Order: sequence, then C-alpha cells, then structure tokens
Amino acid sequence: MALRLWRSRGSEGASKPLRIYYASDIHGSERLWRKFLNAAKVYEAPVIVMGGDVTGKAIVPLVEQPDGGYEMDLFGHRELLSGEEQVKDAETRIGANGMYPHKMDYEELAAVQAMSEQEREIWFADVMLLTFERWLTLADERLAGTQVRCFLMPGNDDPPGVDQAIERAVRVEACDDRIVEFEGHAMISLGYSNITPFHSPRELDEDELYRRVDALACQLDDPASAVFNLHVPPYDSTLDNAAELDGDLGVVMQGSEPKIIPVGSTAVRELIERYQPLLSLHGHVHESAGAKRIGRTLCINPGSDYHTGRIAGCLIALRGSDVRHQFVTG
Amino acid sequence: MSTTTGDMAGAPRLFTRKATGLVREGKTRDALFYNVMWSSVALTFAFYWLFIGFYPGSNALLGVAFAAILGVPGAFLYAMLTQVMPRTGGDYVFNSRALHPSIGFAANFSYCGWLALVFGLYSTYIASYGFGAFGRTMAGFTGSHGWLEFGEWFSTHWGLFITGSVVLLLSAALFAVGGTRLFFKIQVGAFALYVIGALLMPALVGLFQSHSGFIANFNSYAANLGTPHAYGKLVGSAQKAGFAPTKFSLEYSLRSVSVFWFIFGYIYASTYFAGEIRLQKRVHMKSMPGALLLVVVALFVMIPTFTHAASYTFNGMLGVAEPAAYGFASGAPAYPEIMGIASGSAVLGVIMIVGFTAGLLIWLPQTMILISRSMFAWSFDRIMPDKLSAIEPRSRSPLLAIAIVLVLAIGSTAIYAFTTWFSTLAILLGLTFTLLVTSISGMVLPFTQKAMVDASPYARKVMGIPLFTLVGGFSFLGFATAIFILLWDEGSGASLSKDPGKIELTGIVYAAGFAIYFIARAIRRTQGIDLSLAHRELPPE
Repeated sequence: MALRLWRSRGSEGASKPLRIYYASDIHGSERLWRKFLNAAKVYEAPVIVMGGDVTGKAIVPLVEQPDGGYEMDLFGHRELLSGEEQVKDAETRIGANGMYPHKMDYEELAAVQAMSEQEREIWFADVMLLTFERWLTLADERLAGTQVRCFLMPGNDDPPGVDQAIERAVRVEACDDRIVEFEGHAMISLGYSNITPFHSPRELDEDELYRRVDALACQLDDPASAVFNLHVPPYDSTLDNAAELDGDLGVVMQGSEPKIIPVGSTAVRELIERYQPLLSLHGHVHESAGAKRIGRTLCINPGSDYHTGRIAGCLIALRGSDVRHQFVTG
Repeated sequence: MSTTTGDMAGAPRLFTRKATGLVREGKTRDALFYNVMWSSVALTFAFYWLFIGFYPGSNALLGVAFAAILGVPGAFLYAMLTQVMPRTGGDYVFNSRALHPSIGFAANFSYCGWLALVFGLYSTYIASYGFGAFGRTMAGFTGSHGWLEFGEWFSTHWGLFITGSVVLLLSAALFAVGGTRLFFKIQVGAFALYVIGALLMPALVGLFQSHSGFIANFNSYAANLGTPHAYGKLVGSAQKAGFAPTKFSLEYSLRSVSVFWFIFGYIYASTYFAGEIRLQKRVHMKSMPGALLLVVVALFVMIPTFTHAASYTFNGMLGVAEPAAYGFASGAPAYPEIMGIASGSAVLGVIMIVGFTAGLLIWLPQTMILISRSMFAWSFDRIMPDKLSAIEPRSRSPLLAIAIVLVLAIGSTAIYAFTTWFSTLAILLGLTFTLLVTSISGMVLPFTQKAMVDASPYARKVMGIPLFTLVGGFSFLGFATAIFILLWDEGSGASLSKDPGKIELTGIVYAAGFAIYFIARAIRRTQGIDLSLAHRELPPE
C-alpha cells in the first residue's frame, strides 16, 4: 500500500522521515496483536512499538463434556460446542475480546474455583503465559526476513513472567527499563504506572517512578532527540482523564455522567518538563486518547478500544526535530 | 484480586484477575437519566397542545404510541452499535467504520448542523414560554399590569433574541468557568425542578382539578389580565376561525407523529458519552429502549390527566382562536401555564413554569457538549484543525469548539426570533436523515465489519439473517416512515406540499458535509496525512 506520509515537509532537508507505529493496551486480544504485527507492512513503518498492557484480564473455561464437546459461558450466554470448527470459532471470539479460552474438565474447574486468590493469580499467569509465548512465536514468524524493529514492554497490568518471555523472543526486542536506539533516536521505556485503585502488578509510587525514569534519562546524550516510552501518561495533560472510582471500584457519578479526573503521573510530567524529549508515548488510560504538547514535547496517547477488535494506534514521523502524528484505528 | 462470576453449581464461568479497567458497570439509571432528559418530553408535550390546530381529531395517546413504535428498533440499534463501538462521536464513528469516513462525517456534520439550528427554538421558547409565561402568570394571579408588560416583552422579536442570546452566553460561560463539572452540578438541581415542576405537578393538578373548575379559574385569571368572561370570548373567537369539535381521526393521529418524533427519534444521547467510560451491554439496552419506555409511561400519565382538566376541545379552540380575543395578547399559553391556571395557585403555577424552563435550560449546555464532542472527534481524525479539539486546561473544556457552537446558536436564535424560515418541527427532517444513514450502517455492519460483529454479543443470526442487519432493517423502516410522515404532514414544517425547500436544504447540508470532508482530505494530503487511513482496518492474518 502506498502511503505518502509527511512528504511535503522540506524544512528539515530531503531525508525521508522515520515512521513509527505506536499502540498500547491490547489486553490479551490476539486479533489486535496480529494487527499490530501487520501494521509495519501496511503503514510502511520500520519501527513499531507496543507500549504495555498486552496480556488479558479474564479466562473463559471451555469445559469438556462427556460427549467430547465443550460448554462455555460467554457474555452470559451458555453455549454447547461440538466439533473442532465450533470450538475454534469460540476460541477466536473469546480471544478477540481480550480473554483467554482454556480447555478444562469439571475436575480442574472445581479445583480452580476452590483456589485462594493468590493461588488463582499464579494459575492465571501460567495460562496467560502459554498464549503470550505463542504470540511471540507468531511475531518471530511474521517479522522474519524484514528490517522491522519491534519493541515491546509490559505495562502495569502485565504479570511477572512477561518480561522473561519477551527477553527470549527473537524478533521482538525488550525495551522496558533500558535505553534502545533506532535511526539516531534513543528511546527510554518504563511499563510501570503510578498507584491505581486496582493494585495491579506493576505500580510504583511517584518518587520511585521518577527515580527509575530519571536514572535512564540522565544517561541520554541528546534528550532533545529522544523518545520517552512511558506507559502512564503525564498528570493533568488531557491524556490522562478517566472516571473517578470510589473505594469499591464503582464509578463516581456527577449528575448524569461519570466524574472525570486526571489520573496520570506527576513524576512523568516533571520528567517531560525537565528533559523535553522530542516525543513521549503513552497508554494506560484507554478513554483519554489525544495529542498534547508539553513545552516542545509532543505527547501521544492513542487510547484503546481493544474489545471492539480494532487497534487504536498512532503513526508518527520523525525527521530531525520535526515530529508529526496521525491517529489510526486499524 | 482474582474473582469468578457465575453460579456455584460447578458450571463454566469467567475467571478474572488483578488489572485496571475492571470497573463496575456504570449504573443504568445514569444513562437512562441522561436520555430521558435530552429527549425534551415536556417541550414536546407543549408542542402537541400548541399545534393541535394542525391535528384536528387526533388522539395524543395514539400519536405517542405510533411514534414510539417507529423509534423502538432505532433505540435497540443505537444500543447495539454503542456496545460494539463505544467511542466519543456516536454515529460519526458508526457510519465512518461501517460505510465510509466521508459518509460518517457528512451524516454527523448534518446532524450537528441541524442541532445547532434547534438551539434557536429552545432559546426563544425559554424567552416566551419561560420568562414570558412567568410574567403573565404573576399578572394572572395578582392583576399587576407591570408583570403583564414584563411578560409580554419576552415575546417581542428583541425580547426573544436578547433573552435567548443571554441564556446561551450563560450556558457557554458554564464551561469556561467550571467546565463540565460545574454543569453537571447545576444539571442535577435543574433536573429535579424539571421532573417535579414540568412532569409530576401538572399530572397531579390535572388529576384533581375538574374541567368546570378549570374554566372558572381560567376566567378569573384572564380577568386579571384585563379580559373578563374569557372562556366565552375564546369560544366565540374559535368559532369565528371555523373551529368545530371534531370526531376522532386516524389520519391526523398518524400525522401527529411529527410532533412526538421530537422525542422518540432522539432518545439515544448517551451514545455520545459512551466513549468516556466503558459501559456494559445491559446499560445501553436499558438506558436507550428503557428511556423510550419510561417516556411513553410518562406521557400516558400526562395526557389523560391534562385533558381531564383542560379538554381536547379547549385546547383545540386555543389552537385556532385569536389570543388577544381571550386576553392572552402575547400568544396562546403552553401547558405549564394552563395547569398553573388549573391549580388556581400562583405558587404552583410558578413552580410548573420554572420546572418547564429548567428542562429547556438544561438542554442548551447538554447540546453544546454533544456538538463539541463531535467536533472533537472530527479534529482527532484530522478532518478539522487541531485547535478545534484543544482542551482548555483549567476547565477541561474544548473552548474553541464551544465558542463556535455558541456563535451558531446565537445565529439560530436570530433566525427564530426575527424570521419564520423554520417552523418548530422543520429541523426533524434533517436530523432523521442521519438516523436513516445509521440504520443502513447497522444493516451492513455484519458484512463490512464482520470480525467486529462476530466478536460482539450480537453475532447471532435470526432465521439466517444477522441480528444487526435485522435490527438495522427495522430501524430503517421506522426512520423512513418517520421521514415519510414529516414529508406528508403539513404541520411538520418540512412537508413536500407546503415546504418543498426543506428537503432540498437537507440535501444541501449533507452535500456540504461531503464537500468539507473531501476538501479536508485534499489539504491533509498535501501535508502528508491520509485521512482515509483513520478508519482503515488492518488485516489480522
């Protein structure tokens, strides 16, 4: 597909801009992962970055029946599945919604139901990692023979074990908590978020978050040409507006609408204001997609609609100090 | 924490884990509240009785029922589309993805354009049936000529324009000063006033006041306005204008759907804020079709109680008589003033008018939010300049977008205050045309966005027809029938026989939307941005 992005910009010389595709928060949707891998080709982006929260939040048991079929409960509808085709179709539907299909018998189901919360978290991580490893294998296959650089980091929702799996991948490059370089740009990444009401696996208080990012940023030779890839958006940037939750995780309503408050990180904001990188990429807050300048830094949050089967992303072209963006829903 | 859902009988269930975003679903009543509020039940109820001269022999209950039936499939379709595409922008997103971005933009541009025109209707009604009716009510109960003059000024051309512009400026100022937070705080109080004053109290007064008691109060009220024996004069003026009690007419009951379509075609407003929080399936199902049901129930209570005190015949005469003849020189009274008269109490009368006005006032900032959110979506996709979606940090409002809406709304107020270009209902044709496009999106969605539908809770088929296609088809029938009635009914202000220009204007506005999209696309292309990529689906395989 011919894509002529940013072709008219001549002020930075005739060099071709570096095109980056950024997406985040696909939350276990295999369909979106596949789309992400294809974005490099479709959008002609030699660098693709997945900004965290790649794993899902729910497992849908496919419970084996005496006749060899399976029973599942999806969106409150109980379905009996018979034959390989029906089972595969069900697995696709479950995966498309960011959940993991898991075949089990009634005995295992009862065992999982009887687990403590902590035991079930471990069981969940094991099931999830099986799928995640397969995703990474798929990426290795899809990206083999290309020059595409594919960066991936876990987000605050991703449990332990994801990091190691990424490290083992061949064509997918780990970038969390380190500096990576591409085409003359350095990128620092951190998948941790500030503290949320959910107590998700990767959360840090603001001071520690600042310290971790600052430890990377201070190593940059030229912060002005750098890219920050920080899962949590800067505080009060309009990229971090989300519904306020009460102590019971219920949505706080104001009149007839949810009360919206900034939930981003003050540390991230301070770091952007201090180092003024060229570009800052964020996810985390699904409902607050947008682009915002903080000083000279273009901050992007493409948002996420992972459960719709469409991947919310952003195309970014870097040429010298010039940066342009276009949101795309693929 | 890890949780499970389902029963405890060892049946399959869902296992979830610690993660952000697993919030409890938004309460159904909140979305329901929003939809009921935006659908202007009280205003539409006032319309019917003010325009009953156009619908002799019509039965309001039948008109409500017909309009509701036409709107039911649309309510379900919007609920389903909102579930599968819960993004800010509502139909703009649905139509862009299901059909083409140019169609999505043109339809939404058209919808917003016609909505901007409706502002003038609300702002001038606030002047005449809010402030004006308040002044007249005070005069009617006190005999004060000063109050009468005060009230009558609001029905003059300048009174309409100045008052309408002031309330619009105040609505916009809400966002500049306190953003949506302040608006929602005010909205809660205004809605309480609305429900009590405009819905509950008129029903109670109508229930307990007899027709003869109402006529006695009417005479007394008009006498304080300077016209004794007003009922007799009303009868005389109506007869002179050719009024005669009419038998039931099915045809005019059908035509009266034009009026009640003002509610039932537009009871899906929560679709526009669905993108700001993920709500679950049942919320939309209960809040959109549920709002429709609730409004039907409200009207089925209001209509018989109202006619118990102020009969069809009385309102029919008001609809054709010369208002000055029975002492209401600035215009026929709307139902809150009528029920104020029926109550015989200035306090109750004022409460009903204040409640009615509060409903109209709520609608102004609410619609500013809706249009500005659509503008935000256009800007986000780079069809419009970035500045249009710029959020002012302090109030967290898109102030430029709101300023543009304000200018359009004041322009619309001028149109309604100084001209007769648009009747009260004329705008419904343009608005419904967008709904028709959305119903086509519903029909084709299983084919143009198969994967999205397959992954949704609405993947099933009924008699081999995809559920979306079926509901979209019924919605299309409902919306197309509503358009047919608007074009047929001479009281709609958009009929082919009396107002052929309105359908041309509808087409022109839509064409303008297409033109803007393709101009924007050409401009963006020179900047290296391809607008067609915004909604192009990536292949998963």
